[in-house]
Amino acid sequence: MSDRSKSPVWILLHAALVIAVTCSLFSGLRIATLSKPAIASIEELLPQGEVHSVHFLSAILLSLVALAYLCSRVLRRFRARQQYGHKPLNYHRVVTWGGISLLAISLASGWLLFAGISKLPLTRTLHFCAALGLTAYIFLHAGVYLVQFGQNALRYILKPATTRRAQLILSCSFLIIFLLGGWLLLSRFTYYQLPVSTIPADAIIDIDGHANEPQWADAEVLQISTDGGANFYQGRTDIRLKALQNGEEIYFHISWQDPTESLAHLPLIKTDQGWEIQQQGFEKFDESRYYEDKFALLLSSHCDFAGAGTAHLGRSPLPDKPANWHGKGYHYSQSGQLHDLWHWKAVRTNKMYLADDNFIGAPDIVRAGIRRYTAGYQQDGKESGAYVMNWKWYSPNNITPKRLPSDTKVLAPFQNLDQKGKLDWTISWFDYQPYSAESDQVAPGTLMPSVLYTSNRFEGDRADVRAKGVWRDGYWTLELVRKLNTASPLDIPIEDGTCLWVSAFDHAQVAHTRHTRAIQLNLSNAL
Amino acid sequence: MITRLFFIFFLPACLIGAAVIHTPQAPKPSQYHLSKVTAKGEVIHAWGGPWSCVCDSRSGLLWEVKSDSEDIHDGRWTYSRLLQNQGVANNGDCYFEAERCDTEDLIRHTNQEQLCGSKHWRLPTASELHTLVTTEVKPGSPSIETGYFPKTQRGDYWTSDGNLPLKGVYSYLKFGGAAVNFINGQTITIPYRNAAFTRLVTNRSSTCHIAPQ
Repeated sequence: MSDRSKSPVWILLHAALVIAVTCSLFSGLRIATLSKPAIASIEELLPQGEVHSVHFLSAILLSLVALAYLCSRVLRRFRARQQYGHKPLNYHRVVTWGGISLLAISLASGWLLFAGISKLPLTRTLHFCAALGLTAYIFLHAGVYLVQFGQNALRYILKPATTRRAQLILSCSFLIIFLLGGWLLLSRFTYYQLPVSTIPADAIIDIDGHANEPQWADAEVLQISTDGGANFYQGRTDIRLKALQNGEEIYFHISWQDPTESLAHLPLIKTDQGWEIQQQGFEKFDESRYYEDKFALLLSSHCDFAGAGTAHLGRSPLPDKPANWHGKGYHYSQSGQLHDLWHWKAVRTNKMYLADDNFIGAPDIVRAGIRRYTAGYQQDGKESGAYVMNWKWYSPNNITPKRLPSDTKVLAPFQNLDQKGKLDWTISWFDYQPYSAESDQVAPGTLMPSVLYTSNRFEGDRADVRAKGVWRDGYWTLELVRKLNTASPLDIPIEDGTCLWVSAFDHAQVAHTRHTRAIQLNLSNAL
Repeated sequence: MITRLFFIFFLPACLIGAAVIHTPQAPKPSQYHLSKVTAKGEVIHAWGGPWSCVCDSRSGLLWEVKSDSEDIHDGRWTYSRLLQNQGVANNGDCYFEAERCDTEDLIRHTNQEQLCGSKHWRLPTASELHTLVTTEVKPGSPSIETGYFPKTQRGDYWTSDGNLPLKGVYSYLKFGGAAVNFINGQTITIPYRNAAFTRLVTNRSSTCHIAPQ
């Protein structure tokens, strides 16, 4: 170990670096558990809750330290050339340079991901590999120093040789000011802007999934990259958004790439032992194979990171509430603020010409007898109308259907899950009859849809968002409309500055794509 | 040196290894005063199913659970109130009777099938039915624990309390029966002829109550 004393500024920056790298690594690995199940195997070592803000704050600190290091390096190099010349290479110098390179890759890829302007899967892989490299670096650098020198190493990085108190206070103040300034800049001025075009009140926009009306042609497009979802090619899809408003209602036209139209939603299959649900993860509420395509919009008057601060990662982010089954986390609001969630479902709500009007509020109470606790994610109330699943009680093994077709020939079109073409995967309650073992003449191997419509559509608060999606040539296009202000206590009024997040689901129950920066609605030119 | 090696490399490696090996426990239901009972009278797991009755250990009452099976326990069927010749017969809507339905039809059929092992099903009193009312419900849900009592409607449920004076527009009918409203949990008096929902109860069952059969 060098016997050169370290200045108070060096010690401050080194301590900041240690804190920033540790926070970045742990929060980043927690975020990685969403799309990398292997990392979830060490989930108990990782922090839980709203880790995105921690990750971004530590990224700012890391960037500031890197910037300070770069400046000092340039200065020192200039002096060193004058005084000492080049230093000889040794183990620690090689490792340190390796660490610096990994930090540089980590920061560059991280900010590219934040900006959403790169090829996301490649950049995310690079970011992840740099994080793993940094973990190794910590052991090779700090670990080897500690093994070599023990407590002396700690003394060396914590105790300044000289006490230049004024210099330390000044540096510390600068670091805090830049950190807070950076955070303010990042959290308040980095939103995507979605201009909402104003159209006349008597202009008719047909909610049919097609942007045929001339008003759509004049609307500005916002395209954002989202990733981290299941099944999409490399887990990513680009989403294009347009918005219109007429002073009373707001319209959205959204399209996203999805190579397959997935409508076979948890189909039932008759086996020699009886009926079963085709599933791969549904028992843990994380189905990612036999599920419909979906799309979600989260709207909030707050624009904080992690979906207005509602995304809380981990198996038990709420210590006094039940753990979630899939280990990914919960959506809930800690501030008591309500956030709107529109959940369009390609089978369950599309035929109703609706998106499910839901909300994210404070964590719900624990309800005995119900296996799935959803924290703050809940549905608005409805007066009537529903879809129900065609089983009396869910089981990962055998189930008993609620209803069967009177003529089994109606099941013929559903026998090939890979077939292309339009097929209605909902069944009407009244076209089927109550199940009885005696009347069950369905041959083993037969597939049957499982979404039973008991009426045409929801009525009441839950039906506030009209929507229709159409899949064609590898793209879903979706139109939605809602009143700007429904006056419902479970909806938020949409106004200038309202923030929005979007997520696409490719035949996945919860594994949706995501983006970091909020989309801010710009209604400043509204009527 | 060996101690340092242990703390710096071996201990973290062990921690990571332990975390990888350890499987997180699946969530488990906590103890609760309600329990699910199958049609044959067997108590099942709190997250199990299907079930036909619910035992409330606080009151000792066994309750009928509604379904959407279009059998006699379908939650959408309505009944006029008829009890020991007091009330109006056959003024509700169901599929299981040739005529329309009243509360005695449901009681008779339920006792015949010995639902959950009991043949002493009856209408609950208003105070008994009120023990099921809860206010902390999800938006738009009936004021009852739907995890145990699915297919409950946001509407009036008959009780055995009858011969009560009617007021207002119904006063010319003179007497009616008490019903508990599962929108807000209030007990109201409605005419016997009204088509209301019905949930039966028994305090004489081997699974929920110690009283002799």
